[in-house]
Amino acid sequence: MNKKLVSPSLKRGLTFGIVMIIFVLIDLDVMVATMLSKLFGANVIRGSLPDVGFMVLFLILFGMFVGWSTSSDDAKPTTKLFQALVAGLTLGVVLGLFDLILNQLIVTGTDVRKYLAALAPESIRLFLFDQGAISPLLHLGLFTVASLLGSLMKILLKSESASRFFKGVKSGYQGLQAKAQANTPNWVKKYGKFLLFLLIGLLAFFLPRIWGSYNNYVVGLVGLYVILGIGLNIIVGLSGQLMLGFAAFFAMGAYSVALLNAPLPHGIMLGFWPSLLIGILMAVVAAVLLGLPVMGMRGDYLAIVTLGFGEIIRILLKSDLLTSFTGGPRGIQDIRGPTLFGQSFSSDIDYTYIILVVMVLSIFIYKRLERSRTGRAWLAVKEDTKVAQATGVNIMTNKLLALCLGAAFAGLAGGIFAARNQFTGPNDHQLMVSMNILSILIVGGVNSIPGIILGAFTLKGLPEILREIENYRLLVFGGLLVVMMISRPEGLWPATRPNIEKDEGNKLKEDGAPGKGGLND
Amino acid sequence: MENEIRPPRRYKRSKLPKLVRWIFGLIVLSYFFWRLYTVIIVQNEYTPDIWVRLLISGLVIGGVYSLIAIGYTLVYGILRMINFAHGEVMMIGTFAGYFVFEATNAIRFTSSTGEITSLSNAQPFLSILLAFIVGMTVAATSGFLLEKIAYRPLRKAPRLIPLISAIGASIFLQNLAQLLFSPLVRDYKNPDLIARGQGWAITVAGARLTIPYTGVLTFSLSIILMFALYTMVRKSKLGKSMRAVAADKSTAALMGIDVNGVISQTFIISGMLAGAAGVMWGLHNGLVYYYVGFLPGIKAFTSAVLGGIGNIPGAMLGGMLLGMIESIGPTALGISYQLKDVLAFVILIIILIFRPSGILGEVLSEEKV
Repeated sequence: MNKKLVSPSLKRGLTFGIVMIIFVLIDLDVMVATMLSKLFGANVIRGSLPDVGFMVLFLILFGMFVGWSTSSDDAKPTTKLFQALVAGLTLGVVLGLFDLILNQLIVTGTDVRKYLAALAPESIRLFLFDQGAISPLLHLGLFTVASLLGSLMKILLKSESASRFFKGVKSGYQGLQAKAQANTPNWVKKYGKFLLFLLIGLLAFFLPRIWGSYNNYVVGLVGLYVILGIGLNIIVGLSGQLMLGFAAFFAMGAYSVALLNAPLPHGIMLGFWPSLLIGILMAVVAAVLLGLPVMGMRGDYLAIVTLGFGEIIRILLKSDLLTSFTGGPRGIQDIRGPTLFGQSFSSDIDYTYIILVVMVLSIFIYKRLERSRTGRAWLAVKEDTKVAQATGVNIMTNKLLALCLGAAFAGLAGGIFAARNQFTGPNDHQLMVSMNILSILIVGGVNSIPGIILGAFTLKGLPEILREIENYRLLVFGGLLVVMMISRPEGLWPATRPNIEKDEGNKLKEDGAPGKGGLND
Repeated sequence: MENEIRPPRRYKRSKLPKLVRWIFGLIVLSYFFWRLYTVIIVQNEYTPDIWVRLLISGLVIGGVYSLIAIGYTLVYGILRMINFAHGEVMMIGTFAGYFVFEATNAIRFTSSTGEITSLSNAQPFLSILLAFIVGMTVAATSGFLLEKIAYRPLRKAPRLIPLISAIGASIFLQNLAQLLFSPLVRDYKNPDLIARGQGWAITVAGARLTIPYTGVLTFSLSIILMFALYTMVRKSKLGKSMRAVAADKSTAALMGIDVNGVISQTFIISGMLAGAAGVMWGLHNGLVYYYVGFLPGIKAFTSAVLGGIGNIPGAMLGGMLLGMIESIGPTALGISYQLKDVLAFVILIIILIFRPSGILGEVLSEEKV
């Protein structure tokens, strides 16, 4: 048991101790305990605290995770246990010291909420299991035991016999799968895909009628962000231009629909569909106006200029200068929804239909574009500008075209967004919107449609569904982005090369060269 | 003949974008000059004291921008990445200074004259020094950790990936601060010696105006820090190794330079500057909350690009220039003060149109990307 073994475990224990302290300081421990209690079916009223048992459970799980991650993969079982022991003890000691402070706060009745807003006495009591002075010892014991448990679990699950067991299960499953494949009748093979699409279509038709307006709202939001993601993907993923002000095009579409369809400030009432077209057109015009002067710039400069452009649009929309024209900071209310064949077509169910149809259309257009001559030219420009130019690809035109097409998608999404909310204001088009869309691409996987859908669902859908974590969702989101970039930079659902280049792509990947899904400039 | 070799189609590089760019730039520039002419010569309704007041506030804000911009430039020069979370490092520094002043203000004792004073008023220099030291240390630590956790594992990744990681870190730190300290906007408790809004009274063209103490402190300190940094980069061994790493990482490593160490130290230095800028921001503007670093961060990045990113004197110049543009520009052009951010970005675009690599260009590293 030499020094080399002890010091990483010590460090790890210390790190996790600090993480836990931050958890306590922002009251995240109580939140997790509440979620756990909900998971076990306990009914927790908003604002009340969960049972102490769930806090204990959370701390045990945390300790087990520490033990699991501290024991190195290739060490002997005794070494693993030793590592876990050291980490658990360190974690326990760190938190024990922290407990002493917390206990002092409770005993003296000091309220620190003026500075540390989340540190309520009740949640401190919960964290200390309401045991006062002996809670440091309790925590020390708990974390040590839990860490050892985690390590034991790792030893058991990663042992020879366990891995043999898993392999057996896997091969059995594969055998079953093969058998099933062999037994499927011919017509299923032939029409299976078609039937699947039909099923999805039917589901998409009937589900919005059944599952209530809240789910429609969430699905609509995810769908809009998928459209936005596809638009940005054309700019960033296909043609390789880093764009940080995408929300500006979104704003163009939203404001066109809003200004042409609301009683105030102009009362034009043009109708939804023509104004949506105008919105798309306006976004394209904005893209040309932005693109022509800045197109020749290098990556980072382009990023900052587009970021500046996004901010310019937002500030202009907000400013007094244009208040009479755009409604100023208060935005535009009572935007009239779309009509179809003379009938109002603007219930939440209808919007879900519109968004789903537009989404499918966007995906179709994107797929066609990606495989077209232009799409391949974009990829060439992205991979190597000079070589692309030498082979006769016009850099300027292609880049500008990508920008315009991406902007058109954004304008489309913006128009639907404004009509659906019946409101749009400058705050709908903040920098965070652009960042969110970019993050959807990155988290899901650049140039990958399933990835974009998955990313939109993860980043926009999940936070809407998990309302409990409302306060923490941006925190989790930010942390998730960093962790994703470190552990899985190609995204949750990375792209595969299109069929034409498939074999070559696989070969390249084996050599360690970047695949198409990468983000190389 | 089918096998005839056709001459290759000629692709001429289009001159159009460049032309459009120039026309666009010239239109905006001439609009600016026309507005300047109308406001200053034709209307001429502002007396010199107003200009001096604007100049002073521009210099103060410019000093803060410069300090933050240097952090961006240093990191960009060495790692070729935009440290998007740099504004948040500044925010952390601001909070650290805030807590120091709260603490020194809370310690009260009876002075020799019999009055009850707080430590921050009895020993103003000590408490200011303490605030700066603590702010710089905390910000430097967070910069160091930021690099270690969020950027170091991505050293070899394509360029978009560290940027996303930086955006994630920025969102994370902002929300962490919001959850820790609540979204309240808090007041900085300056020592009475440098109370906000007070200063030396001077007379310019018959009108009285004050030079705020906090402004003088901010400006002079930022100049001192910038000078120190510049000397450090030019003269010291660390500065030399920083330049070497910026020029070529692998060669620098072959020359026996600890590349990771140098990068860490770069983040520490830029964190220190951002922390100092944060405390200054708090002292001068008096407000601290979780969002305080975001806009200065973006502005500072803009100024770094303005001066030529990767270039330290460029960052200083860009920061000062942006501060001036923001404070004098709206008045000089006769537009609403709300539009100062628009003005800043338009100036940036104009400069990038005519000088794509910034005013002073890239010097720290010759490597083109």
